Amino acid sequence: MARLVLDEICKGWDFPVLDRLSLTVEEGEFFVIVGPSGIGKTTLLRCVAGLERLDAGRVFIGDRDATTIKPYRRGVAMTFESYALYPHLSVYENIASPLRARRLPKATIDQTVASVASLLKIDHLLDRRPHEVSGGQKQRTALGRTLVAKPDIFLLDEPISHLDAKIRHELRRQFHTLEELRRVATLYVTHDYSEALSLGDRIGVMGKGGLIQVGSPRDVFENPADLFAARVLGQPSINEFQAMIERDANGIHVSVADGAIRFPPAGPHASVLGRRQDMGISVGMRPQHLSVLPEGAEANRPTVTGSVDVYEALGATGVLIAKVGDQQMTVITPPEAHYQTGEPVRIALDRDHFLYFDRGDGRNLMVGPH
Amino acid sequence: MSRTAASAGQPNYRLIRYVLLAFLVIWLVFTLFPLYFAVITALKPVEEINRMVPTFWPETFRIDNFSGIFADPGSLKSLIDSIIIASANTALSLVLGTLAGYALARYLRGALGENLAFFILSQRMFPPVAILIPIFFLFDATPWGTDSYITLILLYLVFNMPLATWLMMVFFRDAPKELEEAAYLDGYTPLRAFFKVTLPLVVPGMISVAMLCWIFAWNEYLFANLLTGTTVKTFPVHIPTFVAGSQTLWNFVMAFSLVAMLPPVILFIILRRYMVRGLSLGVVKG
Repeated sequence: MARLVLDEICKGWDFPVLDRLSLTVEEGEFFVIVGPSGIGKTTLLRCVAGLERLDAGRVFIGDRDATTIKPYRRGVAMTFESYALYPHLSVYENIASPLRARRLPKATIDQTVASVASLLKIDHLLDRRPHEVSGGQKQRTALGRTLVAKPDIFLLDEPISHLDAKIRHELRRQFHTLEELRRVATLYVTHDYSEALSLGDRIGVMGKGGLIQVGSPRDVFENPADLFAARVLGQPSINEFQAMIERDANGIHVSVADGAIRFPPAGPHASVLGRRQDMGISVGMRPQHLSVLPEGAEANRPTVTGSVDVYEALGATGVLIAKVGDQQMTVITPPEAHYQTGEPVRIALDRDHFLYFDRGDGRNLMVGPH
Repeated sequence: MSRTAASAGQPNYRLIRYVLLAFLVIWLVFTLFPLYFAVITALKPVEEINRMVPTFWPETFRIDNFSGIFADPGSLKSLIDSIIIASANTALSLVLGTLAGYALARYLRGALGENLAFFILSQRMFPPVAILIPIFFLFDATPWGTDSYITLILLYLVFNMPLATWLMMVFFRDAPKELEEAAYLDGYTPLRAFFKVTLPLVVPGMISVAMLCWIFAWNEYLFANLLTGTTVKTFPVHIPTFVAGSQTLWNFVMAFSLVAMLPPVILFIILRRYMVRGLSLGVVKG
């Protein structure tokens, strides 16, 4: 039972994967790291577990400096992306492995394995070998193995990403309810933003070299620190446009593609944008903040007109890609809507939720010092 | 159209099959004829063997050739000696080769490891006869001398250990490292993780290596003949002793050879099941 502190850890000199990354995960906290593939999320977990040696920095588990402690004495449990189940051992023996490592009495092992297996609903599979169970069951076996270990720190590496959608939802629900995970510091890595938003007490967006932004899921989603963080979270991903700020007698306007999309920004945004010297910005519009207006409807928001390029009906929602000028705009529509390619549409802009970024470094203009 | 295509295609396939079958038959004749001749020779009386025109089926069957060879107490002892030497050498080769192979696979990757591994394997490549005389003097200087079990058990390591090391290294490289890492995080020290996770994965490979080592040690003649022969005598050295005066008793030689073929064949039949099993048994994903 301890918190995890990473102090300026570095890994990789020529191609720094982690560059002075610092992070504190409190006891009982479920911290999700989200980022695109290949950005070093797994390397980070392996560094915490002690499987990779740090090039610089320190790892603290509780009050202990664990930087040089061997992985088998660190008190850290990890599920691997590939599950890493022992193929020659039964599901029972796989789960019992951390207990056997401590040479616990047989009765204790039996009892612990049985309780974890019933919690994860794999108690009927205990005699089978890993290759005789399904992907979801393998994943739960791997999770069971980490749960019985009663570690100080849990590390979960994309534990549910490779499963089919139905099992993924079921397991995501289970993560919410697992008491064991709520008592220790958990570091959970995923590339799926919905897992991050749904599971994390706090989330960290990982970019090149380290964490771009750390915060509550809602905060990171609504106020991304920069364009990169805005891109990582959200599916379909955010619409990005190169825009100009235009001033005239009526105040300021944001203009995209020579005025094909042109609207006055919402009040708080306008005051920040109005103080800028540099007129070139990027504007980000999440697809859920755009909506297609029914024909003849009165709009109390700014609108743009375009034509339907692609329409995908996804059951719970629809995704419309519209051509506006020479730009493409992704819009989420109600499920019952239907559109033909080429059909003209009017799109209402929910500008209160729009995001504005610096064109150079991608920083969110509404966050931090203006 | 399609009929002509089919009828044009089919005879071709059939022709290829016949050609392949013909090759198989020729190959079988070459490989099985010596075995067949050994069997019928083992069943003939000496007089029938010495005819100018050989018989291809025994005129008189002498089953008691097989019991006759054991009238010489040295026959049984030579088989037992061979079993002791082959088994002890195999065990040693496996233990050393497995540990060395693991070290090469996990801790000595890169140029150093590659070169060292190839150097070890290259021990297998020079002609053994080149070191025959030095080896004789080397073992003569040991307290147990040349004519003892331990001589051949150690000597065969020269040939078997490089092979065992190299092959085990390859098997260990195929064993996923991630499983060992998972074991570390379960709390196993590297040594315990090796025995719990990695070693069981390479057992099929170990069995194959054991078979190769055992058969080499079982059949070796050159060094056994030169170094041993009095207190210790392996069966290949014993075979040429079936003579009466100036006459070689080919029926006994063949009968004894057939008996000596049995242990490796039986071993292979028992262990074949384990040798062909897949290595990682579907560890990763699914």
